[in-house]
Amino acid sequence: MNWKALVVIFVVLFVVGLAVRPVEGPAWDELREREPSLRLADLEDALGQGVTVGLLGGFRAIVADLLWIRTNVIWEQQETAVIPATETMIRLVTTIDPRPVYFWLNGARMIAYDMSVWRVREAGDYGNIPDAAVRRYHDEQAETAIRLLERAREFHPDRPEILIEIANIYLRRMENEEKAAEYYRIAAEMEGAPPYAARIHAEILRRMGEYEQAYEWLKELYATLDPGNPAHQKQVVLGRIRELEDTLDVPLIQRFQP
Amino acid sequence: MSKVVFSPARINIIAKNTFLEAVRQKFFGFLVIIALGIILSSQVFRDFNFGAPELKFIADFGFGAIVLFGSVLAIVATAQLFFSEIENKTAITILAKPIFRSEFIFGKFLGVSLLLLVFTGMMTVILSVLLFWRETAIMEGVDPEAFEAGRMVAYGDIFLYGIVQWLKFSILCGITMVVASFSNTNLYSVILSFVILLICHLQYLARDAWAQMEFLPVQLAVFMLSAVFPNFQLFNIGDQIALGESIPFELGARIIGYALIYIIVFNLLAVFSFRKREI
Amino acid sequence: MTSAISIEDLTKDFPLGFGHLKLRAVEDLSLEIADNQVFGLLGPNGSGKSTTIKVILGLLAPTRGTCGIFGTPSAEVSSRRDVGFLPEAPYFYRYLTGFELVRFFGRICQVEKSKLNDRVHEVIEWVGLKEAAHRRVGTYSKGMLQRIGLAQALVHDPRLVILDEPTAGVDPVGSAEISSLILKLKEQGKTIILCSHLLGQVEDICDRIAILNRGKLILEGELRDLVSKKDLRSVVVQDYREEYNDELAGWLQARESRLVSVEQPQYSLDRVFLEHVGRSELAREKLSERAEVAKQQDTASGKDNEEKKKSS
Repeated sequence: MNWKALVVIFVVLFVVGLAVRPVEGPAWDELREREPSLRLADLEDALGQGVTVGLLGGFRAIVADLLWIRTNVIWEQQETAVIPATETMIRLVTTIDPRPVYFWLNGARMIAYDMSVWRVREAGDYGNIPDAAVRRYHDEQAETAIRLLERAREFHPDRPEILIEIANIYLRRMENEEKAAEYYRIAAEMEGAPPYAARIHAEILRRMGEYEQAYEWLKELYATLDPGNPAHQKQVVLGRIRELEDTLDVPLIQRFQP
Repeated sequence: MSKVVFSPARINIIAKNTFLEAVRQKFFGFLVIIALGIILSSQVFRDFNFGAPELKFIADFGFGAIVLFGSVLAIVATAQLFFSEIENKTAITILAKPIFRSEFIFGKFLGVSLLLLVFTGMMTVILSVLLFWRETAIMEGVDPEAFEAGRMVAYGDIFLYGIVQWLKFSILCGITMVVASFSNTNLYSVILSFVILLICHLQYLARDAWAQMEFLPVQLAVFMLSAVFPNFQLFNIGDQIALGESIPFELGARIIGYALIYIIVFNLLAVFSFRKREI
Repeated sequence: MTSAISIEDLTKDFPLGFGHLKLRAVEDLSLEIADNQVFGLLGPNGSGKSTTIKVILGLLAPTRGTCGIFGTPSAEVSSRRDVGFLPEAPYFYRYLTGFELVRFFGRICQVEKSKLNDRVHEVIEWVGLKEAAHRRVGTYSKGMLQRIGLAQALVHDPRLVILDEPTAGVDPVGSAEISSLILKLKEQGKTIILCSHLLGQVEDICDRIAILNRGKLILEGELRDLVSKKDLRSVVVQDYREEYNDELAGWLQARESRLVSVEQPQYSLDRVFLEHVGRSELAREKLSERAEVAKQQDTASGKDNEEKKKSS
């Protein structure tokens, strides 16, 4: 081998590497901004996680996908014996690739809605065991699911789907309307939130008897709605406002004027 | 006697011949079949009725197959074509003609790059067709709510992904050519090129962490390392696209510009190293 | 008129490993090869023939000395414009047909596009591969490969043709055919440099030869001079005149002898070559072999002479 030529090659690459930074730098900064796993907090990170991410490159997603399939195969057995395995797999998948919100949401659903049912069924099934026991199984599974989703929020602070999922679990599994209303509100105030989140927030307030609050919320909401967008259901919101005005006995003169 | 001048026509002839030779190699067909098999195997996800997220799984598999087999093809085909010329003495026959060595190198590069374009293009088109077909089926059947805002897959970004990967493979082809131009065996070139590929994938660690090194000589060495090797993580945009995040124009343009600079640099270095090679 | 090739004080070293050890493949070689002749470059394996050819073609850079083709230094790409080269044991792109292969090299040499196809057909026909032109090169026999190699070397009508072992591994018939093609090239005014181990062939067609051994030029000259200069035991008569023929034949016949032919006796080139290279054992072996062949040839040429006499 010609050592002189090798030195020339290295020197040229070094100079080019520095010269090309103005092109590469901003792009790299932006990419790193979008990709949390490429951000290196400290040196230990660089050597542990960084090497794994670097080596797996484009294959991390595939590894997570395959583990997700495995998770589903285990979950399909639908019995309490596979709860620890399924939960571990969900945690593993979301650790390897925390980026897809899908894994978090579906993992939480399996934990909250399916596993609670398995536990009740194997303890004697709904109707045969005391309500307190059902309550306990539901609460325990819901809490595990919510813990998972709270971790998801750390990775996806700007994704309203996660908050809606938490709100749903509070509402449907824990029957905690207060918490559910709160999470729907936070979700509804986020950018990109589905329009129904705001409507559900008002609906829960109404069910809780907080008519005033619901009424104010809907009036504010109404102004932001687009009549051309069927998902916004502007007319439905107006109908709800009218219902609340009836309930609250708002005098005709003071009623909401769209 | 008139002077022989640098001729793009000769580069074109070498490139065409290199491409045809590569396409007729069993290795190319083998890789295409395996990559296709992997992309199509993402059909197992249908059994799970994931709904719209099935598209993410298909995209992950497709992108993974393109990255893996494209890299293998870029290194192995380049080394193979280069050394077959030397071992079969076709290089002697060609270089004994009135042709510049730079023309030979550029021709070889363009031939392999064209091969990589055909591979990446084929895979990208097949992946897009598969995604479109499944997306349509899911939209109309399993999971229509997910598509309220229209189609989810950004097909333009998938093609951008294809272009960016092709450029990355072309850099890899250039690197392999530099390695082959001074090494004596095919196997050595392939192994060394794979090692360099790994270093380029890990370059970002050195790039972002050198300042944290405490010992000055280590700091300098890590900094050197980060400047000498290109940053291959910059081309890793598949996950973003699979997650439905679009790639802004400026980011795409910078990545493409970065790739083009390195393609030119590695080609010139290959010419530099090959110029004095004794055939 | 410039020489086809001029080599001055050429030395070529190859580094051995990492030390300063060097292998000297060619040493202080100076050679002028004039235009329009068949020049034989001979030498045992490792004598520096191939290295010399590669330096001439610019494939290797000389360590010292200069080398040029028709006055252009070998380092310049332009020097190869008028050169056709057939490498030893050529192995071409196997998937191309003979026609495609020759066309490919024709385009590399920038043969005019309008004339390219005609020219390719012409050279393929000339080397006798017309029937096989559209078969893949991978299916060719060794002899056919050499001939298609010759075709690619000639496609751009070069003034100088360099042939490295053009008949290696080719059967005697194919070998004789290639010899006759070489002689035809000379008739067309081209210069041919022939590297060969087959000394019989070299003897038949070369005008001049150079013998290399261990990188040095040890003998160079007109073939006829070289092989007839030596003191040969087969010299029968001195100061011989043609009018003696009949009388001498009669005189011999009276003593139960017969005049077979009257010609200048020669040693076989094999012997000249091997004597200079110094492989005496091989030389003796070769000599006895050659003696057998020579006897048969003598008888044959005797018949020829008789026939000629009768016809005249």
